[in-house]
Amino acid sequence: MIIDDQRSHFIFIYHPKVYHGKRYTVYNGKDLTNGEILQYWGKWIVLGERSWLDEMARKLDMYVEEESVPCVKYDRTPSVNLGVEECVMMVYCDKRQREDVWKILQQLGVKFKAWVSERETMEMWVPGARLFEQWIASQDFDEVTIEAIREDARQSLGHVFDHPDDIFDPWKQ
Amino acid sequence: MDIMIRVPPSLKQWFDGSDETSCHGETIGGCIGNLTDRFPGLKDRLLDEEGNVSEAIIIFLNGDNINTMEGQTTQVKDGDEISIIPLAAGG
Repeated sequence: MIIDDQRSHFIFIYHPKVYHGKRYTVYNGKDLTNGEILQYWGKWIVLGERSWLDEMARKLDMYVEEESVPCVKYDRTPSVNLGVEECVMMVYCDKRQREDVWKILQQLGVKFKAWVSERETMEMWVPGARLFEQWIASQDFDEVTIEAIREDARQSLGHVFDHPDDIFDPWKQ
Repeated sequence: MDIMIRVPPSLKQWFDGSDETSCHGETIGGCIGNLTDRFPGLKDRLLDEEGNVSEAIIIFLNGDNINTMEGQTTQVKDGDEISIIPLAAGG
């Protein structure tokens, strides 16, 4: 199911089950814990023009519906404020199934192979990390807002690192 | 050794308009050296002043971030594929 909410920077592809309280961060039918997310979760990166990614999304929707691919998200527009000139699609899965998902992407014409773990991603987005600070600097936030964002990031990401046995709860984007 | 290097379309100018090229080397560092010899100006895009991989990019070997391996000393072999993306594309 493709979710195209204009209020979000991203377009998502979820299985409809998420609207019934089910999680997509699952492996072998089991919800992943925070610790397992850090150890196993990640995404294949696909870069290209929005029109091509829209086409990819329509094709990947089938694989998400049959749960061969857990979740996909991609940019509505390029994040030029972060130095990226094309749209980025992230095809999420557990590392233990990533080669199966890669085969799907290859069949759809993806040649560029780049896997980024969720741990690496989170480490890029903690306050003080390069990407987080780059994004903050690119926005027109006042100091109060910046500090609130930093604190929110500390709490959200800190919870994942500090509570490895809790079931992972994806945050709204 | 023949190694394939791929970049996203926005970085084609690195390789004279192509999003892929081949290179030679025993390690990632060797491949970078081979590329920077062939493509003037590439060195400043790939490496910082101290010769470390630039923080503005992520380099992958067969899909995995070289920072999870041995960095520039990671060995490569015939048929391997190196991908390079801007840092933010990985976030």
